[in-house]
Amino acid sequence: MTRSGTGRHRERHDPHWIEWLTGLVSAVLIAGMLSWIGWEAVTRKATPPDLSITVLATEATSAGHRVAFDIYNSATTTAASVTVIGRLTEGDRIVEENQVTFDYVAAESKSTGAILFRNDPAGRDLDIRAAGYTDP
Amino acid sequence: MAVAEDETSGFSRFVTGLGRGVAGALFLALPMLMTMEMWHLGYYMARERLFLLLLLNIPLLVLLAHRIGFENISTWREAVRDAIIAYGIGIVTSLVVLAALGLLRGGMPAAEIVGKTALQSVPASIGAMLGRSQLGHEETDDGKKGTYPGELLLMATGALFLSLNIAPTDEIVVLAYKMTAWHALVVALLSIALMHGFVYAVSFIGGHELSPETPWWHAFVRFTLPGYVVALGICIFTLWIFERLGDSSAVEIMLSVIVLGFPASLGAAAARLIL
Repeated sequence: MTRSGTGRHRERHDPHWIEWLTGLVSAVLIAGMLSWIGWEAVTRKATPPDLSITVLATEATSAGHRVAFDIYNSATTTAASVTVIGRLTEGDRIVEENQVTFDYVAAESKSTGAILFRNDPAGRDLDIRAAGYTDP
Repeated sequence: MAVAEDETSGFSRFVTGLGRGVAGALFLALPMLMTMEMWHLGYYMARERLFLLLLLNIPLLVLLAHRIGFENISTWREAVRDAIIAYGIGIVTSLVVLAALGLLRGGMPAAEIVGKTALQSVPASIGAMLGRSQLGHEETDDGKKGTYPGELLLMATGALFLSLNIAPTDEIVVLAYKMTAWHALVVALLSIALMHGFVYAVSFIGGHELSPETPWWHAFVRFTLPGYVVALGICIFTLWIFERLGDSSAVEIMLSVIVLGFPASLGAAAARLIL
């Protein structure tokens, strides 16, 4: 409990046990968080972004086809402005090429996106890969 | 005659209160009304999260009205009435300012107009509540006793207020991406130290003091540490509401929460001083 008077507050000397319990639980939570972060700081080595792409689904849309994919960054550094290029090929001939840019792909995290094609990817070779990134 | 005079003065007091509410809503919500990310969130954020935020704002306003309310609120009914008025002021103020700034146009889908206004009405209503109760502060706090949950609620409000300001911006995520775990460790320790220092050490008006026989760590364990946990909880909540967490890994989420926790914890400390 806190007593207020003349604009300043004075904490009680004999608080309810619930205040100590709340304080104790908070102390444990904060100590846990700090030691986790500290452990990460000591053990985690900075590795450059390592991007991989998994195609999720191809669906028809009203104006063409949508290829949805996951992009996963398995490294401990975040990549910014990640450009992903999707290419439809038929033999040696490039049928269509489109690209999309992710603002960020966070460290050890995944983002999802989609590339839109006018031509149907079915029966053609589809290649989606990350083409480059900047450091945030 | 006396009755009529009473009614007039009651009415003018009410109008003054409304005016203070609008002033509070403007002072505190203008930064958010003029933030691009907040306009965008108004139409793309998940509707169930927006709905949850709008719902949770109601008990928050009622509790705030009960704790610091306008003109010695004593019953819960009055607190509810005041909360509703503050929410109303928040909605109207947001609507007027957004329209005046050209952010609401006739051709827009209704969902966009409603979403933008609804999102802004949350900080604006908190501002209206604080404006009505704080800007017209004449009586002293003598004899007003703060309960322990009340103190935690004040800290949560302060943290929520700063989080609403800052969580929607891209900077939080960018900072978390740029920082290493060492930086986060320093920021967390700095937040806790500043929180404690602001309230207990630097003798602000409204600051808190301890009896000479109470060791300093009593208040640190009972108030500062729970306050920091409350502030971090509010940060997780606002980052989640604004869809800032995404599919990030636990460490990245923790870094964002600690970054946002810096202003939020100072907001929590400031709320204990000001309210």
